Amino acid sequence: MNPNILLVPILAPLAAGAAALVLPKGLKWAREALAVAASLLALAYAWAVFSAGGDGLRLFVPWTSFGINFDLYARHFPRFILLAASGFSFLLALYSASFMHQAWRSREYFAYFLITAGLANGAILANNFVLLLFFWEALLVTLYGMITLGHRGAHITATKALVISGLADFCLILGIVFAWTLSGTMTMSEVRLEPVGLGAAAFILMGIGAMAKAGAMPFHTWIPDAAVDAPLPFMAFLPAALEKLLGIYLLGRISLELFRVEMNGAMSLFLMTVGALTIVLAVLMALVQKDYKKLLSFHAISQVGYMILGIGTGTLVGVAGGIFHMLNHAMYKCTLFLTGGSVERQAGTTDLKKLGGLGRTMPVTAACFWVAAFSISGVPLFNGFVSKEMVFHGAAETGLLIFPIAAWIGAIFTFASFLKLGHSTYLGKPNAETPVKDARDPGWAMQVPMIVIAAGCVLFGLYSKLPLQHLIAPIFHGNAIAAEAGHGGLEFWHHYHGFAVFSVIAGISIGCLVVAFLLHRYGVKKAGGKAYLASEPVHNLPVLHTLYDLAEARVFDIYEWLVGKLLRGGAWVVWKAVDRGIDALYEHVMTFAGRVSIGVLREYHNGLLANYLSWVVGGFALLAVYLAAVAR
Amino acid sequence: MLLLFILIPLAVAALMPLLYRINRWLPDALASLTMLATLVLGIAHVRLIAAGHLYYWDSALYGLPIRLSLMMDGFSLLLLLTISLVSFFACVFSVNYMEHYGCKGGYYALFMIMVAGMNGLVLTTDLFSLYVFLEVAAIASYALVAFGQKHDEVEAAFKYLMLSAVATTGILLAAALAYLIGGALGFSELAAALRGGLDARLLALVLALFLMGFGLKAAVVPFHAWLPDAHPSAPAPISAMLSGVVIKVSGVYALVRVAYNIFGLPAGVSQALLFLGALSMVIGALIALGQSDFKRMLAYSSISQVGYIVIGLGLGTPLGIMGALFHLFNHATFKGLLFLDAGSTEYATGTRDLHKLGGINNRLPVTGLTTTIGTFSIAGVPPFNGFWSKLLIIVALVQANQMGIAILAVATSVLTLWYFLLIQRRAFFGKLAVGLEKIKEVPFYMAFATLGLAALCLAVGLFYPWVTDNLIRPGVTSLANAIGVNSFSLFGN
Repeated sequence: MNPNILLVPILAPLAAGAAALVLPKGLKWAREALAVAASLLALAYAWAVFSAGGDGLRLFVPWTSFGINFDLYARHFPRFILLAASGFSFLLALYSASFMHQAWRSREYFAYFLITAGLANGAILANNFVLLLFFWEALLVTLYGMITLGHRGAHITATKALVISGLADFCLILGIVFAWTLSGTMTMSEVRLEPVGLGAAAFILMGIGAMAKAGAMPFHTWIPDAAVDAPLPFMAFLPAALEKLLGIYLLGRISLELFRVEMNGAMSLFLMTVGALTIVLAVLMALVQKDYKKLLSFHAISQVGYMILGIGTGTLVGVAGGIFHMLNHAMYKCTLFLTGGSVERQAGTTDLKKLGGLGRTMPVTAACFWVAAFSISGVPLFNGFVSKEMVFHGAAETGLLIFPIAAWIGAIFTFASFLKLGHSTYLGKPNAETPVKDARDPGWAMQVPMIVIAAGCVLFGLYSKLPLQHLIAPIFHGNAIAAEAGHGGLEFWHHYHGFAVFSVIAGISIGCLVVAFLLHRYGVKKAGGKAYLASEPVHNLPVLHTLYDLAEARVFDIYEWLVGKLLRGGAWVVWKAVDRGIDALYEHVMTFAGRVSIGVLREYHNGLLANYLSWVVGGFALLAVYLAAVAR
Repeated sequence: MLLLFILIPLAVAALMPLLYRINRWLPDALASLTMLATLVLGIAHVRLIAAGHLYYWDSALYGLPIRLSLMMDGFSLLLLLTISLVSFFACVFSVNYMEHYGCKGGYYALFMIMVAGMNGLVLTTDLFSLYVFLEVAAIASYALVAFGQKHDEVEAAFKYLMLSAVATTGILLAAALAYLIGGALGFSELAAALRGGLDARLLALVLALFLMGFGLKAAVVPFHAWLPDAHPSAPAPISAMLSGVVIKVSGVYALVRVAYNIFGLPAGVSQALLFLGALSMVIGALIALGQSDFKRMLAYSSISQVGYIVIGLGLGTPLGIMGALFHLFNHATFKGLLFLDAGSTEYATGTRDLHKLGGINNRLPVTGLTTTIGTFSIAGVPPFNGFWSKLLIIVALVQANQMGIAILAVATSVLTLWYFLLIQRRAFFGKLAVGLEKIKEVPFYMAFATLGLAALCLAVGLFYPWVTDNLIRPGVTSLANAIGVNSFSLFGN
């Protein structure tokens, strides 16, 4: 197959994005149709790339010297991610076409949306560090732009997102420089490094860049803010789907291919610690949220923990589970945000206090919600169950029990918070405070994406052999992890996942779900039937309460530290000490010297022909003397 | 058919005054089409030249009584394309711009003669024809500088004429002396004759005369003083031609042909060129900073930019030559563009005094945009074309261990950005100046010409590997061969 088709998933959305920007404002339907058509085209070609088979297509164009080449390489892992990213882009384009139809600055929204889709596909396919960075960094621009579209004050959140992501990307660049120094090549598929010494620094820095893209702690703080400020499809598109795919994809590439993460090695412990902390801390924050979107956004952070934990285990089952969880998470979290969008659109609010009983009037939305909620909570028969089980197994295999325990704690609170969210939104009696009384299911364009992805959650749960065999297993083709694990590795999941319910680990997981259910029951009872207060018993626990208050005051927000304190203080010092000093040098020394020399030169250019003629003759005489002297 | 490059413009020049009487639009259309035709003719040669082929034409083959021998190599073709490209946009620009000067027939006739002279200059293979074509182009350009016939313009043209006369006298004298010692005028014959042991002092005199003469044509400091008067005084499209093309053809090209192909770039000349180039680069930029007239600032900037080109050629390394030739081409595009923009500004506002302008960017969006592109290109901001050629020159300087000049080149590039930002700030941004409330964007053909050149600046910057491979490399190869330097190291396989 012609490798040039690799360009289509990148260029088609980029070109359509540029076109969307210049189409006249009034042609809304044209822009929406363009967005859907371009993302469908990209999806079709992503499918062609995926089904090309073999070692994958490669487009290699020498660009500049120094090993910087335009190099796209669709091997097993990238082409799977490409297919997933293009699929989400298409479904979200469809959803956005309806959701953003009346929105403020919808023209820019579709342009940024399409450009993001194209850049993300480029970042996925890139096989050269510089090319990867080009696409990766360009995504920050549209990230910023899309958040500002929320409302007039949203640029503050957008700036926060930009600064945090920029900081993480700086780490990524630094890591890449280290990796390049060690390996001497910019071609990603040729890099093989040991994570020791400078290699360890490279791994950790690149890992930070990847994990921050996925939204791991402590680089997560902009996501809950964006949940409130940014347009809703943005949340489903970037933090829920695409950024998870990109971040975990890169983390997977780094730990599987570029470096080799040994089980229980230092790098493994680093990743697992970040993963476990992210799971527990973010889920605790999620539990006490009383806003539909904000609650979801904390889960978008918490679930990343499972992926990082899984990849960090360094075991075949754990890594495969982490990557599978990334795909599953993108599916159910996308669905959840989309149901959030439907609720916001139809009921006029996402405040849990004002919602209730929507299950009767919005049955499709409610059904999709419950499917996705069961998936994220790891209820058996849904996709999240399978991938979480794999992560639990991987974590248990390391022998460090603290990690599976952290994961189980996360599972308890995840289910508890979704019971709270579902209970207070869809169950119970209709709430008198809901702004819109006759809330209905949204139109088909918003329903189709929700239903399709929710159906995928069920399919991957019931028939997990399909994704595991065709999407996940090929990634390990020829990889050392798979070779070590032998046939007992993924084969186990191909054949026995259905019976995994009867293992000890699955038993504990299901026990966690029961605990979560009881916790919810207790909370609702204590709050006098008010479902949105179900998490208050946890909220009011002695130590946690203090921590929650501190978190509310943004004490744990690195951005507040960086921008609020460190940067302002540092900037003041730099301004006084460096800037003023240079300014004085410039004001008094440079301009004086410049003015004098310019003045002298102008003085001599007085327009007199004789003067000029004398320079010519003088110059000639000097040249002649010099050349004669040299010639001798 | 190399003679066509000379004959087509000459024939059209002869027709122009007649056509002007028949129909006022005919000269406009014909002039632009003629330049387009020579451009297409030039492009038709690109493929074979890039493959290492050379083109020859000799009158002896046709039994003509006049002896004329033409040859095209990569260097000639690069110059031919540069001439046609800038001429084409200058002609298009003239359609509207020259309306108020009147007498377009004569204008285009002179224009065509100038182009014919330059085309001949870059194709000829002997010193005497070189001198003749040089004078053809020069005399047409004196008349064009004075075309407005106001006091300043006539004075500038006179100054230009007087100083050029010194230069051409020097060149003629040098040619005569070369004939005396070598017994031939053709480049290759002369080069062969000079290989024997000759009086070194006489040779030094010849070289000094050539350096002075062509150096004056190229406006290298200290032979530059005519340029800041002549270039701004001419009508804008002619300024674009003079700064963009004429100084490079009759100055840089001729100088390099003689220094490389006849003398094989002796070490003394190489050093002298480096010194003169550095001097021009710095002094030109410094004086430009002190100007308040838009076009005068551009004129001094040309001196500074020619300095870069001369430095690269003075180095004589393949990378240096490559940077210089690429910068020569790039400077033609962006300085042509900037002079046309200065013309647009003057056309729209009636002034080119930067102190009287201000905030016109909103009123003149096309001019503002293209000036910005020109500014970025000349200041060497990536990805515009000027960035790559300056980078090549600076890298070549570092490679040749000329750290002092390399630092000067970087510093000058900062100065360049500085004074171009002065233009931007004073003329285009900020508050709208008093009296400019009613200005309008320039007419179609002027806008088209500036947009075309601006697009070229960007396109060459973006696709620079294609340009360097197909247009610049053949020129580098032919010059490197002339001085016996292996250019393979530069291009790999």
